[in-house]
Amino acid sequence: MHDIKDLESRGILAVGVATTEFVQAAAVQNGFLGYDPAVVFVQHPIQDRTDDEIRALADIAFDEIMAKLQDKP
Amino acid sequence: MLETAERAAAAPLNLPADGLVAVVKRDCPTCVLVAPLIKELSDRGVPITVYSQDDPSFPDGLSGVRYDDDLGSSFGLNIEFVPTVIRMEAGREAERIFGWSRAQWQALTGIPDLGKTLPDMRPACGSKTTDPGMQARLKVRFSQTGLASRRIPVPREIDPLELVHERGWSDGLPLVPPTEERVMLMLEGTARDPKEVVGLMPPNRVECTVEKIAINAVMAGCKPEYLPVVITAVEAALIPEFGLHGVLATTNAVAPVIMVNGPIAKGIGMNSKGNVLGQGFRANATIGRALQLVVRNVGGGRPQEVDRAVFGNPGKYTFCFAEDEDDGIWPTYAEERGFKRGTSTVTLFPGDGNTPIIDHISREPEGLVQSYAGCLRSLYNPGQINDVSAFILVSPEHAQVFYDAGWSKQRVKDELYARLKLRRDEILEGRQGIGSMKPEDLTDPNRLFPKFRTGSLNLARAGGSAGKYSAIISGLGSITINPCIKEVRL
Amino acid sequence: MTETSAEVFLLDPTAESSPVMMPRLKRPASIEGMTIGLLDIAKQRGDVFLDRLDERLTTNGFKVERFAKPRFSIVAPDALKQEMQSRVQVVIEGLAD
Repeated sequence: MHDIKDLESRGILAVGVATTEFVQAAAVQNGFLGYDPAVVFVQHPIQDRTDDEIRALADIAFDEIMAKLQDKP
Repeated sequence: MLETAERAAAAPLNLPADGLVAVVKRDCPTCVLVAPLIKELSDRGVPITVYSQDDPSFPDGLSGVRYDDDLGSSFGLNIEFVPTVIRMEAGREAERIFGWSRAQWQALTGIPDLGKTLPDMRPACGSKTTDPGMQARLKVRFSQTGLASRRIPVPREIDPLELVHERGWSDGLPLVPPTEERVMLMLEGTARDPKEVVGLMPPNRVECTVEKIAINAVMAGCKPEYLPVVITAVEAALIPEFGLHGVLATTNAVAPVIMVNGPIAKGIGMNSKGNVLGQGFRANATIGRALQLVVRNVGGGRPQEVDRAVFGNPGKYTFCFAEDEDDGIWPTYAEERGFKRGTSTVTLFPGDGNTPIIDHISREPEGLVQSYAGCLRSLYNPGQINDVSAFILVSPEHAQVFYDAGWSKQRVKDELYARLKLRRDEILEGRQGIGSMKPEDLTDPNRLFPKFRTGSLNLARAGGSAGKYSAIISGLGSITINPCIKEVRL
Repeated sequence: MTETSAEVFLLDPTAESSPVMMPRLKRPASIEGMTIGLLDIAKQRGDVFLDRLDERLTTNGFKVERFAKPRFSIVAPDALKQEMQSRVQVVIEGLAD
């Protein structure tokens, strides 16, 4: 989340992708940073998944990532 | 100095319903004088609660003294002087005296021979609650600031000096973090109500209160005594004829320039002499910056957003100076605008920088105005007329040339106007203000057009004593953008 | 965030139209035509995820640049952030697990 905040301070639109394991931790850290970064959560776990399963997760996340980068009317 | 999260509730005073309350400090000769009497009252069985502001063992030999080291009790009792003695009756304050007056003390205590060896009277001293800055500190500590602005928490991991940038409050330079205490101290610089709405600040047309101005003045680095000038600058900027929205939104480089006249300029240490447009003077630097921060933070006017300036100019950080009124020969700009000398005013005009005029040679005024006219002619474009304005800051050595020749300020202006007329074929296409011209004007090759509209070419006195320079502050000048002046209200 | 997590408070100098929690950068209506950086935080298997995003972005007509942290659980070094700042307008960082 530090990175997302720093990149946005540089004028770069940034979004982080994390697994659902991080929902709680991210909220706490955001409190400390006083900042609400754009984060997309994908279903935990990752490490034991097949490549196809991970690609499927990426496909699911893709639309949400794009939505968090644009303010489509 | 930074405010802590712990906010004390006003301390419960826990006073007896009936009896006396005395507030003293050792650092007060009158308190020292009456200290034995207070002990005597206690020894005689008079119920008396004693607060000492600076020494728990004062008055000497008296037990049960309440040490008011955080001044919470003194603040709660609204003590302004010491010694103060209050008589409580049925849980309410019935009577209050301060200082030493034998008659008053005898009447209040009902003891006729009290202090008969002491002098008749001794004056009170100031309570520690009235020390400089202490009221502000106590109001913050006991949540009695009355301020309306929301409080932004500084997250633990963040340096307040970084947060002000992260939140987008800064012009790019470091800011003084606007703690409640600093803002309360700033507000002591004016008699105005913090809630007073000075006007609607463009571009977002948001209500701009004295409190918001004070917060931005803190951030800019102002001293409280500058605040009336900052508030007046905001007021002047909001006069419709100044056209603030246009000044900040334009692609042109202009910034609001602040010129201060009258006794307040010297009173707060503004520079009108050497390096008048340069660095090194806190009042000049921070007052101009405060106005810009108000525009940025309250109005929402930010570069590359509503502010469409192609270049901008360094004066958009701060552009503020005082007119030099010392020689008293020419009327000041404020006097030209109808204000009496001795009145403090703030003038705002749009300026995009400083164009120097160098003339080391002319010993006659004709030569000097010729130099001025040449420099003025080229402003924006040699073929430009209208929509351009200029404030010429005339230095002491140049001014002396005019004074020696007996030229009034108006004479200099008239001579400049006479030299700043353009023929039709010299005027830039599209800059001739066609709407106001008759068809024959457009065809008459000998017809002359003034470069500057009436009121858009002005002179003021400023600058260092040695050197034959003057300075042109050029800027937009149109029907909708004009210099505006406002009297300073404290 | 509650006020008790902070020790210092500042008074808001603005018109208070933005939330106390600092808002993220304002999103444009569209990021079409922008160059997108994929920042690999160097967790195992994250590359598979980012490779797929790369494919999808490229298919959608975006120019994609790849970046990687030297190792995970560190803040991206300044040099890396400067590199991204000079080359891309958008960054997608992943995959934290």
